Amino acid sequence: MTTGCILQIALLLCFSITALSRSFNLLQFQQRSTNLECQRLMMKLSGTPESCLNNRTNFEVPKEIEQPRQFQKEDAVLVIHDMLLQIFEIFGKNLSHTGWNETIIENLRSELSDQIDRLKAILDENTEEENPTWENSTTMLWHLRNYYTRIVQYLNAKSYSSCAWTVVWTEIYRNFSFISTLTDYLQN
Amino acid sequence: MHNWIELPGCQYITGTTCDFSSVKLSVFEKIQLRIRAEKGNRTSPWHEVGSFIPFRKAQIGPPKVHLKAEDKAIIVNISPPGTKDSLMWAMDILSFTYSVVIWKNSSSVDERTETVYPGGKIYKLSPETTYCLKVKARLRLHRKVGSYSPVYCVNTTVENKLPSPENIEVDVKDQSYVLKWDYTYENMTFQAQWLRAYFKKILGNHSDKWQQIPGCENVRATQCVFPQKVFSKGAYFLRVQASDGNKTSFWSEEKRLDTEMQTVILPPVISMKSVDNSLHIYIGAPRETENKSTSQHYPLIYEIIFWENTSNAERKILQKKTDFIVPNLQPLTVYCVKARAVIEDEKWNKSSVFSDILCEKTKPGNTSITWIIAGVCTALFSIPVAIYVVKGLLRCINYVFFPSCKPPPNIDQCFSEQSLKNLLLSASEEQTERCFIIENSYSLVTVEETSQVDEDHKQYSSQTSRDSGNYSNEDENSGSKTSRELLQQGLV
Repeated sequence: MTTGCILQIALLLCFSITALSRSFNLLQFQQRSTNLECQRLMMKLSGTPESCLNNRTNFEVPKEIEQPRQFQKEDAVLVIHDMLLQIFEIFGKNLSHTGWNETIIENLRSELSDQIDRLKAILDENTEEENPTWENSTTMLWHLRNYYTRIVQYLNAKSYSSCAWTVVWTEIYRNFSFISTLTDYLQN
Repeated sequence: MHNWIELPGCQYITGTTCDFSSVKLSVFEKIQLRIRAEKGNRTSPWHEVGSFIPFRKAQIGPPKVHLKAEDKAIIVNISPPGTKDSLMWAMDILSFTYSVVIWKNSSSVDERTETVYPGGKIYKLSPETTYCLKVKARLRLHRKVGSYSPVYCVNTTVENKLPSPENIEVDVKDQSYVLKWDYTYENMTFQAQWLRAYFKKILGNHSDKWQQIPGCENVRATQCVFPQKVFSKGAYFLRVQASDGNKTSFWSEEKRLDTEMQTVILPPVISMKSVDNSLHIYIGAPRETENKSTSQHYPLIYEIIFWENTSNAERKILQKKTDFIVPNLQPLTVYCVKARAVIEDEKWNKSSVFSDILCEKTKPGNTSITWIIAGVCTALFSIPVAIYVVKGLLRCINYVFFPSCKPPPNIDQCFSEQSLKNLLLSASEEQTERCFIIENSYSLVTVEETSQVDEDHKQYSSQTSRDSGNYSNEDENSGSKTSRELLQQGLV
């Protein structure tokens, strides 16, 4: 057997072993569950006319979130935790002009809060040990927070109008698809 | 080239400090500052302060505290550090953890430190005592610890005639939750309320957010039952209050209920098949008794216990696959199996009850099937071998007893004389003998004619070599002719 043949067989074995050893852990399951539930609840919030979407602004999602490269599990937990935290805060702002059902908003925030708690428990464990990659991770965090600051500033500028909330709703719904991608990196 | 902007609140300052809080900048963006001194028209060169992210440099200030005393507890309403519109902690309000240090005013020795929620309560206090406390906020993730608030003191009230219910427990029974508590007195009515857990984390007085639990208003017993579907998936706080008609007690300690922790995992359904001396076990999904709206399919692993029916020695296997084989068992023995599902997580120790026990007898060891297969294989393999051997034998026999009489093909190289060749390599089947008399004296007498004779010979030989088909006839003719001529010439 030639070396080329042996190499191919070795590669095939490695791939199959990696594929088979992907353990589906509880955290990933819970995160996926939260993602689906939040998207479902968001769909239940009544929409406003399409004309509002003319005011769409590019909030400039950070590149690391939009097209994530290889993420470490700790970084994925940090980023998802912060994203859920910000979405929780945004839905706590002035919603009087939207006419959205309060119970649905409460359910949505409750779901976000529970998953935030679970992720926070893991983060607290990780911060116990000094992490040398903390600097890199926080740089990503600042970019993420700048992005959410832009969204909040937009809402402020538009006085929390119904149209502004429609635009933000679209952006937040898009956020959940980013979170779903990042959930894949919650592997052990 | 940077775009330097004038910093509002820091222009024409006479002191050495300035406050630029009014600037609406993003606290997560890197900023750079530069300062210079001016006197009249003269200015000093710029001194640049290294770039920094305001959030990273920021320190947590003291939180604001508002206290309300009960008889054996104090409600601590904490507002997060900073003002309502402060940008710095706007995104981290939910992440603050507050630790409270509380002591009796009389003796500062008796100190206690507790972590509380913003709308939290401190329990297990003595009535009619002055307590003092201070609070600090902490952002664990960003490794920031704030400074303590000023000390606040409050008096606990006179002990209430009616104590609050204690030891609240939540159990699950069928499709309902059972809320139980203890109470010292008889003949009381109780009511229970619930609150979504996240309200405790956000600031403000959320006492208006507590709602009645259906089925738990004015109950006489120290327990109440309500269906599970009252609470959708999530975390809640429950509290109970006693009443005797006129007066009410203070609310009990709040009990946290996490619906996810209460999920009941149904036991799996196993089926078995015995294959030779091993058992093939299939683990199936549990029987669905009712249509659950949120059917949770958690990542599960299965704990299988099996034992020989006669002995008590149990063997345990932990398996993730639902279809596997237990090998190397004793043949013709009855084995019994039971299994349960366990949630695959280190911290969460949740499992179902064991399934029904299933027993099966293993088959007798290495049956004829294997032998048949082995036999067929050997037969298939041995047939070509046998054929080859027989062929070889036949060849041998033919060689020994029935040899072929063909001379080797290149033997004609050994013979130069044509007569011998004709004699030995006769192509026809006829075995005819030719006899001639060749006289030796002929060669001495007729020496001068030999050349002629030789020529004739040569002619003859050339002729014979050409006409190899009618070889024997010509030979006969030519041979006899030659001999007659020789005789005639010899006699003359």
